[in-house]
This record gives sequence, structure tokens and C-alpha cells, in this order.
Amino acid sequence: MAGKSGRSINNVPENPVKKALLSWEGILIVLFAAVNIFCIWFSEYYNISSVLRQMPVYLAEVFLMLAMAFILVLGEIDISVGSIVCLSATLTCMMSNTGAPFVIVVLTALVVGTICGMVNGLILTQFPELPPMIVTLATQIIFRGIAEIVLGSGGSISVKNTAGFKAIAGKIGTDIKVPYILFLVLILGVIFAVILGKSTFGRKVYAIGTNRVTAHYSGIHVQKIRFIIYTVMGTMSGLCALFMISSSYGANTTTGENFEMDAIAMAVFGGISSMGGKGNLAGGLISAFIITCLRIGLGQKNVYAQVILLIIGVLLICAVALPNIVQQIQKALSVKKKA
Amino acid sequence: MNKKMVSALLCGAMVLSMAAPAAYAEEDGVKIALVAKLAGDAFFEVAAESFVEAAEAEGASVEVVYPEEATADAQIKVLDNLISQDFDVICISANDENALQAKLEEAMDEGIQVVSFDSAVNADSREVFVNQAGTTQVAQALMDAVYDICDGEGQWAILSATSQATNQNAWIAAMQEIMESDEKYADLELVEIAYGDDEAQKSTDQTEALITNYPDLKCICAPTTVGIAAAAKYLQDNECSCKLTGLGLPSEMLEYTGDGDEYSCPYFYLWDMEGLGALSAYTCIAIADGTITGAEGETFTAGDLGEFEIVAASDGGTEIILGDPMEFNPENVAEWAEIF
Repeated sequence: MAGKSGRSINNVPENPVKKALLSWEGILIVLFAAVNIFCIWFSEYYNISSVLRQMPVYLAEVFLMLAMAFILVLGEIDISVGSIVCLSATLTCMMSNTGAPFVIVVLTALVVGTICGMVNGLILTQFPELPPMIVTLATQIIFRGIAEIVLGSGGSISVKNTAGFKAIAGKIGTDIKVPYILFLVLILGVIFAVILGKSTFGRKVYAIGTNRVTAHYSGIHVQKIRFIIYTVMGTMSGLCALFMISSSYGANTTTGENFEMDAIAMAVFGGISSMGGKGNLAGGLISAFIITCLRIGLGQKNVYAQVILLIIGVLLICAVALPNIVQQIQKALSVKKKA
Repeated sequence: MNKKMVSALLCGAMVLSMAAPAAYAEEDGVKIALVAKLAGDAFFEVAAESFVEAAEAEGASVEVVYPEEATADAQIKVLDNLISQDFDVICISANDENALQAKLEEAMDEGIQVVSFDSAVNADSREVFVNQAGTTQVAQALMDAVYDICDGEGQWAILSATSQATNQNAWIAAMQEIMESDEKYADLELVEIAYGDDEAQKSTDQTEALITNYPDLKCICAPTTVGIAAAAKYLQDNECSCKLTGLGLPSEMLEYTGDGDEYSCPYFYLWDMEGLGALSAYTCIAIADGTITGAEGETFTAGDLGEFEIVAASDGGTEIILGDPMEFNPENVAEWAEIF
């Protein structure tokens, strides 16, 4: 069946159902169902209403994953997003406490996030040789540093007028209450997935991630695209900050800590390679829900928090290693065939 | 095509999770969730142990839960988990005073009673706070220790944390008030309040400066664990006649605590975490069975700890004060040093 080269290019179209099931997304969907069945068996409190009620805190991080997917597909990384969330949340709380209308408060969150993202983008595009890991490590320290100075060390701020934040943390429905944030995540998820998977912009991102130099010589404005993506990453961090405030009515110096790692974990688990050029957002979104459901299910039985993290860590290693293992087995088999 | 399948299966799995059996095991007795600031805090463990012991003796069941990190956000996730379960009372040591308000209000709306202990949440987020030691009790204990060590007269100094530290400043202010209001302390002279910024080296330097500037200094009072440990080492190493007391950790103070002249610290204080745990447990049970509601002026009996009254707290809410801090002296310091 397989062609002479390692990759099989068949004239005969494969069975689409079989192909979908064998793709990484297919495996993830099966895993998602399995996780839910496991959780229902494991926790007597695990049902649709408890999951929906507990979801918002985890979903706030999915916004980050959506933009992080683009950065990973570029073959880059942004570890400053947690700090952007912190700074954005801090300044948004301050704006809210001046008595500004809620529209302005929302804008503050998005604008502060966007500006931080632009700072990352500017540095990285003006000095394209600098490694994104180091640049965003620096801005990670800077953004959180600014927030810490504003807050005073170890400090926190809380919003006095919680009405607006209560509203965005609201829910639709009487029996089964669906939080607004779920709709927002799904809508943005579809938009981001279409842009990455179906648009010219998305194809350019894959091209850059596969080979930046080739992409450049093919006439792709590499730096412009990188700048846009880092800026959008900032905007999404602002959005995340907004929902973080809505769950705690405030911000403190630890707000958003390690969020960049959670976002990267969701994306990588979803099959988006940190080496660039591979993966799609459908996988990222499903994996986000797998992790969320697993954490809720285990959490409801008060499983030791570190054990939950450990389980997710093991899953992550498996997710990263599995494609490589499969590849090696395939290689070994094809070598055997040739011999 | 692929995406359609994704969404279809996503919905399917959601519906699956809806079909979960709503099995609620109805247990007798009060169900209490005890929420820590983080895992691995020896201090908290002492309180938790006596909490569980006291609660189980009263027929209640306790689940101790730990957030993944010492942040308010991690505690919010824990609270979300607890609200999904069927607890009667949540007793929490908070990582942030205000950040848990939304979640704790949600819990109270669900009919779960909220008590905080050790580290308070704001007045709107709780029914009552169990306070390990009131400001006045700490100040009084320290003042009496200074009086005792100085034999009633002479120079003494305070080695504090930073000049902005809320707790330390409150205790120092209360000590000064006690000293001025009672003739008994008239012969004591507070010569200086030094700030070691809760850094070991800086605290040592400040101790050295105090000893050099005031050769007749009889006692240093350090109401901070970092300060007292640094000062204890300096005074003992240099065989100073000046003695030390304050608030410290037994494990750090073990080798400096003793009656003889070779030791720098005769005795010191810290919270009675064991008592705090037990009192918190009795408070949770009393609030669950309706003996108290958390309003000012109510009284209840906390097992063998005796009778307690709910008083107004400085933050506008109500609190129960455990009482005097615990004294650590040459007799008991070794035993406690193994714990924290």
C-alpha cells in the first residue's frame, strides 16, 4: 500500500472516517470521552451542572492557548503572557476603582494587554535574531515587576464596584447554567481555528514555522506576521485578565502565574508542535477540555493537587512522545520491509 | 468534515457527562472541609491535626484540602471543587483577604457555612474568624516577658521586621500603650525600635548596633521570627549580658533557649496552633448546628477549651480570639522544635 517514499501518497482515497479516527484529533476525542466516563465513575458530584459551574477559571486560560497556538506554529514561544495577565488585571482593577464605566474598564484590560503584546512584538521584529524565549523571559520579569511596583510588594488590589465583573461571570439558563465564557471560548476558538487552518494568513504562519528563510524569500512578510501574532497574544492575555478579575474581584502579584505553561501544555497536548509548522486548533481546543474535565473530576474528590498536576504531566509527556514512538515503529517496520 | 465530527463528539460527551448518577451519600454528622494555604506547611499541619482530632471526637468528619500553590487563584479552584460536594462548613486559611469573596459568597448562597482561621478573609466572605491571638494579648505577653527579663527596670529595645509591617506595628503600638498606661512599667525605658527588614544579615547588624550604642541594654524584644533568630545567634555568640524574647520558631530557637547565662533567650512566644485547630473545629461544629450564627455577643462552649465569646473584629466582621500566645521555654522547646 505504502508508496516507495516514506510518506504514502495514495491515489485511492482513504476511508475518511478511519482517517479522522486515526488522526491526533480523533484520538483526543476518544480520550475526551474516556476522561468524562472516568470522571463520572470516579466522582459522584461530576455532572453537567457541576462541570459547567467549575469551568470558568480553567476556560480563562484557553484564551491564552488560542493565541499561543499561533506562536507555537511559528516555532516560537511567549512565556510573558502570565505576567501580561497580571499587569493587565492590576491596571484594570485600578481603572475600575476610579469609577469609570465598565466599557472603559473592559477596554483597559484589552488595551494594556495589546500594548504589552506589541512591546514583545516590536522587540522581536526589530531584533529578529533574538530568541523569543529570552526576550519574553525578560518582559515576563518586567511586566510582573511593573505590576508589583504598582501594587506594592506582595500586595493586592480589589475592585470596589463588582457589578460589571459579576455580569461577565454570569450564566444563561435556569436548570443547566451555561457560563458566558464558554460561548466566548467556543466562538473565538472557531474564529482562531478557521484563521489558522483555512486562511492565507494561517498558511503563511505554517510556512514561517516550517522554514522561516524560505518563507521570507517566498515573499511572506515574516516580521509583520510575527508582530501581529505577538500583539494578538497580548490582547488575549487582556481578555484572560478580565475573566480572572471576574472570579476574584481583584488582582494580586501572583495573578496569572504559570499561565503561559498551562497554555503551552494545552496546545502541545493538542498536537501543536513547539518546533513549529505542525498542529491545529481543533486539537488544542479538545485538549483544553480534556485537561479541564480531568482537573474538575479529580478535584471534586479532593485528590491531592500535586497528584493532579503529576497526572497531567505524565499525559503531556505521553502526548509529546507518542507521535515520535509511532514514527520510530513505522520506520523500523519499513526498514524491515525493504530488507 | 473533521471539525463537524469534533463538535458532534464534543456535544455527545457533554451529554454523557450529564447522565451522571446523582448519588449523594447521606452521612451523619457535620461535614467540614479544612482548606490550607498550601501543602507542606508544618505550622498548618499542627493546627490541622488537632482540628481533625477535635472534630472527630464530636462526631464530625473532616476533609483537609490543599491548593496546588500558595495563591488565591489556586484556592478559588479548591473552593469550586468543594462547592460541588456536599460540605456543611468550609474552614479556610486564606492566601488573600479579598480575592476569595466571590467564591465564598457563592458557597454561602449554596448553604455552606464559611469560617476562616489563621489568616482571615474579609468580613463579607465569612461568618466568623478564629483569631490565634489578639493584638493586645500578644503585646501583653511580650511586655510581661520584657518586665520579667529586665527585673522591672532598665533599658530595652525592639527589633522589628520592616517599618511598614502591619502586624509588627500593631503589636509595638499596643506594647507602648500598655507601658504608658500602667505604673508597673514606669522604670522600663524603651530606647530604640530597630528594623531588620526580616533579613537575617540586616537583623544581625541592627542587633550589633543596639548592643554597641546601649551598653546597659538589658533586653531586646523581637516580634518577628527572622529577627529573633538572628539576634539570638549574635547575642549568644558574643556572650552578651543582654537577653532576648519575642516571637520565634522553636526549631530555630532551640540552641539559644535556656535558663543559664550561656543562653541568649530565656523564653519566647508564638501562636498556640494546636489550640487554634481545636477551637476552629468547635467553632465549625457550633455554627453548623446553629448554636452560633457568627453575630457579635454570642457565646459557646468549645469542648475542654472552655467558653468563648464572639467579638467585633477590626475589619468590621466578627471574630473569636483564642487567647494568649503560647510560651516556649527550656522545658518544651525541644519537643516543639521537632514539629516547627
